[in-house]
Amino acid sequence: MDTFLQLVLNGLMLGGLFAIISVGLTLIFGIIRLVNFAHGELLMAGMYLTWLGTTKLGLHPYVLAPPLVLVLFVIGVAIQRFILQPLLEARDAHVQIFATVGLSTALINLALLLFGADLYATPAAHVRDPIMLGPFRIIVGQLVMFGAGIAVVTGLHVFMERSFLGRAIRATAQHRAAAQLMGVDVNRIYMVTFGIGAGCVGLAAALVAPVYPTSPTVGTYFVLTAFVVVVLGGMGSLHGAFIGALLIGLVDSLSGFYIAPDLKEVVIFGLFILILLLRPTGLFGLGRGSE
Amino acid sequence: MIDWTGGRRLMLGALAGLGFGLTASAAQAELRLGALFPFSGELAMLGDESWRGLELAVEERNAAGGIRGEKIVLVRGDAVDNNQAVAEARRLISVNSVRAIFGTYSSARSQVASQVAELARIPYFEMGAVSDAITDRKFRYLFRTNPTARDMAARSIEMVTNAVAPALSVEPKALRVAIIHEDSLYGTTVGRFQAALAREHGLNIVETLPYPANIVDMSSLILRLQAARADVVLQTSYQNDTVLFFRQAREANFRPRAIIGGGGGYSLRETMQAVGQDVIDGALNIDFTQFAINPAAAPGIEAFVAAYRARYNMEPRSGHSLGNYVGAKVFLDAIAAAKSFSADDIRAAVAAVDVPDGQTAEGWGVKFGPDGQNERAKMMGMQWQDGRLVTVFPPNAAVSEMRLRR
Repeated sequence: MDTFLQLVLNGLMLGGLFAIISVGLTLIFGIIRLVNFAHGELLMAGMYLTWLGTTKLGLHPYVLAPPLVLVLFVIGVAIQRFILQPLLEARDAHVQIFATVGLSTALINLALLLFGADLYATPAAHVRDPIMLGPFRIIVGQLVMFGAGIAVVTGLHVFMERSFLGRAIRATAQHRAAAQLMGVDVNRIYMVTFGIGAGCVGLAAALVAPVYPTSPTVGTYFVLTAFVVVVLGGMGSLHGAFIGALLIGLVDSLSGFYIAPDLKEVVIFGLFILILLLRPTGLFGLGRGSE
Repeated sequence: MIDWTGGRRLMLGALAGLGFGLTASAAQAELRLGALFPFSGELAMLGDESWRGLELAVEERNAAGGIRGEKIVLVRGDAVDNNQAVAEARRLISVNSVRAIFGTYSSARSQVASQVAELARIPYFEMGAVSDAITDRKFRYLFRTNPTARDMAARSIEMVTNAVAPALSVEPKALRVAIIHEDSLYGTTVGRFQAALAREHGLNIVETLPYPANIVDMSSLILRLQAARADVVLQTSYQNDTVLFFRQAREANFRPRAIIGGGGGYSLRETMQAVGQDVIDGALNIDFTQFAINPAAAPGIEAFVAAYRARYNMEPRSGHSLGNYVGAKVFLDAIAAAKSFSADDIRAAVAAVDVPDGQTAEGWGVKFGPDGQNERAKMMGMQWQDGRLVTVFPPNAAVSEMRLRR
């Protein structure tokens, strides 16, 4: 029983990690309707920046979170403005997706060029210390990620519901042309949305770097799971993504123990297909009919 | 125009056939050899480290006058994935007209690229890939100097029975052994040999757990090892999963009495730094010969390290450079001894190589079996001690006593 509860705990904590990485992706997916294949590489870039900040400037990784959110926001806005927006009028909308694939490959190779294939470990600074809860253990960093995941999802929800900009973003997602007719500057909305999505990755990078070693391909390890989380939760649904992430974390942890570590992906993707068959819009999707 | 070039080539051929020295133009005074390694992508670092060994061997040979007065020129091919390994092998052979291909570090890429070379009847010299399947195909023009997955598994089981069990003063059969490995061809091959050899020796295997190398969480796997009360863990891994295993084992307070790793993931200084010197301390490791070894058991290793430092201005990053250096020297010597640069003459010269045990800088000797595998190749047993990877097994090569938590 103790083992089972520890597994559940591990699963929820792993879910927190997946959630914090997936939030930005689901935002971009839901609003811009863009599958951003370079998402993992933005995480990778953020993790390298965290490593640089901790080792060269001697700062705690968490202190780097606010500046990283800003830097990634700017990078996100730039990607939307200079790479994706010019392609918006392309004959086929899929060109944008291919552009993100190209960006992903370019960023991985840029990292190889700058840092080599070495693995970099961000100093832990007590982030990896365990906390004992009776017979159970949690790592400080995992708890922080879990809390940050809830905070980001809640914060973004309030922003989307209450603020003027949030309403404009939702309007654009619901019907781009209608929003444009109502005077919404769609291109600006897209830039801001991509920026916020990338900013979320900046936060994720600062939290993930001390618990996970950084390498040029680190993004590819997470991005596939992030896609599953996004689709599972219902494309664009923020709390859906959070619940989806916890679910994937739990399945990962339990199947890794009770079935086999090399079969857990089979279980995860099997479940993924099953849910899509039963509920094509995901667990918390808006249902058919939304754009 | 086409007729003209065709005619010219025919004429030159005729002149060469008549024995005129006219065709020995500048372009022909060089012997082109292919160097196929992963130079980019996730295996780039050890691919590059492997290449340095080959480069040093060739530069040393060129400084001594090359082979029969011809300067050796290495043509690089980037085996970034399996498809590109095939494409680059084809390019080296058909566009660059190399006489032989050296490589490859990655087993999967060696497997596919050597097939291209075999079909083109170009010798393929493997100095780093460990999968046994490569030489199991019994190719005619394929030779391998380095030890294989089977040698790695044999050495790890030998260490459990002949080093770990005696050090803990228990019977080998009393140890609860767990085998974990990443689930690509590499880890699977080593893991299977380990399981088979462990059964042969009557060891008690309590878990055999494959996992994907890009795993992001190993906590469930570690809980299983804890539930199975494993004393000895054998792990065959790359770097990322090695770091993850040590970190998460420590976080879960899982402390087996011995961890025996295999391969590049365990040997790298970067792994030690990422894991933490205190956390990895005491971990055992089976791998190609590394540098903290008794020089009497590996003659020439000190000269190699000096040459490496002078050339690259740093310490060798792993033993891969040494292994490729020793392998390349063996093959270059054979090419020099061959009657001509034709594939069959080179093949005959390589097949005749006979270096006794303990006579290379790797510590082993060279004698190729009918399948092209060096039957004298062996792996070494090492341990992380105070931030250094030192050889502890076999005893004649050891520079330090093995330390185990009792």
